[in-house]
Amino acid sequence: MEYLSSDKILIVDLTASRTSEDEVNGDLVAERIGGAGLAKSLYEKYESDDPIVLSTGQLTGTLYPASSLGIISARSPRTGKLCHTPFTLTAGIELKYAGFDYVVIKGTSSNPVYLWIHDGVADIADASELWGRDVWNTTDFWRKNLGDDLIQTLVIGPAGETGSDWAQVCLNYWTGGDRFGIGKAFGNKKLKGVALRGMGLLEIADPEGFVDRCLNLLTSLKNGAAAGKQGIGPVCAAMGHPEIQDWLASLVHRHKACYNTPYAANTFVYLDEDPTIRTEPKTDEPGLLITEPYSLIGMHRLGLSAEQACRLLRSCARYGIDPVAVAELSEKAGTKDPKAIEEGFATLSGTPTLPGSGVFSPCTPLQPVFGDFGISGDPSGFHGWWERRQAVAYIFGIDPLFALMSPEITEGNLLELTNVGAELELSQETLDAVIADLME
Amino acid sequence: MDVYRRYSAYNRLLARGTSLAARHTDRGLEVSPTAEPRAHLRRLTYPRIAVYAGTGTSHSWLWFVELCERMGFYDLCFPDEREVAGGTLRSVDVLLVSGGDTFAVAEALGPRGAQGLEQFIRRGGLYIGSCAGAYLPLRSSKTPLHHFNYVGARITNLTDSLPQPRRMSRKFSTAYGCRFVFHPVREEVRIRTAATAPLRAGRSITAPLYGGPGLTIGDDAEPLAFYEGFTPRTLFLVDEAIARDTLIDRVAALRARLGQGCLVLMGPHLEHPSFPEANGLVADLLFWACSRVEPLQNARESRDAPCLRAGAHTGLLRDLRRELSNSRIVAAGLETIPLHWVIGAKVYEPEKFRVFLDAMWKRVRHLERMGFTAADTGEAEEMIRIGPQVTRLLRRIKTSADCGEDTSAPARDVLTRLHVWSTRFLNTYFRTLSLARGHTRVAFKAQDTGAPGRALETRESLNVRSVV
Repeated sequence: MEYLSSDKILIVDLTASRTSEDEVNGDLVAERIGGAGLAKSLYEKYESDDPIVLSTGQLTGTLYPASSLGIISARSPRTGKLCHTPFTLTAGIELKYAGFDYVVIKGTSSNPVYLWIHDGVADIADASELWGRDVWNTTDFWRKNLGDDLIQTLVIGPAGETGSDWAQVCLNYWTGGDRFGIGKAFGNKKLKGVALRGMGLLEIADPEGFVDRCLNLLTSLKNGAAAGKQGIGPVCAAMGHPEIQDWLASLVHRHKACYNTPYAANTFVYLDEDPTIRTEPKTDEPGLLITEPYSLIGMHRLGLSAEQACRLLRSCARYGIDPVAVAELSEKAGTKDPKAIEEGFATLSGTPTLPGSGVFSPCTPLQPVFGDFGISGDPSGFHGWWERRQAVAYIFGIDPLFALMSPEITEGNLLELTNVGAELELSQETLDAVIADLME
Repeated sequence: MDVYRRYSAYNRLLARGTSLAARHTDRGLEVSPTAEPRAHLRRLTYPRIAVYAGTGTSHSWLWFVELCERMGFYDLCFPDEREVAGGTLRSVDVLLVSGGDTFAVAEALGPRGAQGLEQFIRRGGLYIGSCAGAYLPLRSSKTPLHHFNYVGARITNLTDSLPQPRRMSRKFSTAYGCRFVFHPVREEVRIRTAATAPLRAGRSITAPLYGGPGLTIGDDAEPLAFYEGFTPRTLFLVDEAIARDTLIDRVAALRARLGQGCLVLMGPHLEHPSFPEANGLVADLLFWACSRVEPLQNARESRDAPCLRAGAHTGLLRDLRRELSNSRIVAAGLETIPLHWVIGAKVYEPEKFRVFLDAMWKRVRHLERMGFTAADTGEAEEMIRIGPQVTRLLRRIKTSADCGEDTSAPARDVLTRLHVWSTRFLNTYFRTLSLARGHTRVAFKAQDTGAPGRALETRESLNVRSVV
């Protein structure tokens, strides 16, 4: 794969403590396209080794709007099925620019390790010193010791190390899209996490044609349904929870977008300093980045104040535990005291709801957000539409939340841009087949 | 034809034994095949070139490396001051000295280095100096420059009393004994070539000026180019009127004879990789000076080039790539922090680290494609050993900078190690490139350190052609 690709698959054998490389097979791309579509193929190839596959979509890291997605594909400890969960911000593109489109992690290490993937080099490094540390300490350690604050991390905390079913793979300091307990899968392999950094380049087959089309699409998106909105508050409102925005307002410092995504869906709240003051914070990390809506909605339902809720969310992030599961199970158990909830992380029990078919992480609203996709009826009936929309996002590498906001992003233009940028001849029939295969 | 492809084609022919002759016409340097030498023709030779990378040089010697590679001059070495004093120049035809701290370069070379340099030029060698390399051989009574009094040109930007700087006060001037060299402009300037062989008179070319001299000359030198004007990209560090008075119509490049050899001194960096026309001038001057009607008797010894293949080759490149990546990542992060260091008379910023690292990084891929590395195990081990040292020092700079601590000592250390690392690497790289392209004819032995006891292979051994 010459274009839009690093053309490399990294195979990490944790049992043998060895890495090797493979090329991205053009025939496989023609058949499975990329992202979750191709990751499933790799998963099946190495299934006997219980692999975790990191992947990027064909368009991840390009100028296609919202092309920020990386994907973790693995057997969920919660459902027992192959599932796909997203990682965004700038971690998705960092994987591709670190020199690999796909990473297959197989086997189990005898000692705690982490992967340091950088510029086409993959090191399996000792993580004994890190085992037991929380998510924040681990990310700080990697950034300090490897020497760059821009290193992106996929990391587990004590929840993953101790085998909690609700352990998340966290993204840098924050909880993310992992609703399937993949953090436990990392922990079972004694894999503390993955540090990513790369300064690679992507070649485009028809640079002018590709960039022009991307810019045209971006212009129409900026004038679309999400125009004028920012942050997690409006997303919650679109989901039928307009109260969240006012509830959170006094803590909001700023909003942050994932790579190249024309909607800043992540909201940064300040807990330890005045969020209205726009200067360098006095402490290293005075707040929390909220990256998905369900955790906020869940904490709000517990009757907590915004500050209590966000402090609890921060504790979830440090511990590396799914805050949506924490909120739901605490509500079911009748535990509403934040301190008691936090102290109960290690002993949490129950079966939280996992909407959807269990293929794609239900970290995004199961309905259109802002945009008119021409579907109507009871939102509870949108699941089929949602699954297909997520499948398309996970195949091409598009932010799965933004995919629900933007009817302007169509299967047609995703195929067109991929074909233009990568000199492929992918068809709608191929895409339909890949989606069908993912949904099996 | 693209200037680099043209010279690369000439060098490919020369390195494989084709006879080419050069002559100066009103169109400049013309090169043509020749079956036999004629009285008015000068035969071109494929030169062995030393790019000076010793103490006091900055990063700009890598621009000379880039120029040489683009133009197919692969027979390169990278001596430091010890090697110059120790006689390395006896086996080269050309010495390139780029920018840095002139006094530090002179101090490091010392009287022995100066002696070696003078003998080299008098014997027929070509010295090309830009910026600091241009200041070095100018006649001066200042210690330690007084060891190098080869050219009697006067510096027009030398003063007792500095003008007022408009910007960049840190880089605006340098002490020169009890006086000062000041830099009227930085970035792009326009120069005009003189009617001096092999150049075409009146060509207007742009080149960057980063502290190099304006000159006036006497009878012992001939002008090659004059400062003609400024461009929209010129950055004025003083009032434009002072800049004009100091530079315009002054000599930007000169040539001076010394014994059987000569010196070419350039104020602007004509070797900068973003200025192909200027690079072409350097190549013209180099070819012309290395060509002879009557060959010089300058014998050269054949050289062995041990070779790593298979596992040893792959392992070396994998380890190099790892540490280059680790270092590059930290170095790139440092560029977001407002750091600078004064080392000697030069101001360095973190961006300079990546110039060295990127020079190696982009060439590792080429080595991978070539399938072997012309290095012995000792050289390979040294290259692998230095890498983690550089990475550790860079990380220490990052940590110290985050804590507000002084970072001068590790920064100095990094630059020293980067010089060593890059010279070792480039020696290996160009040796490999020469062998792979069939340019330099050397004997080599293949070693595979992963399989002890295997018989060594040898290729047919040929002496390197004598320089004429």
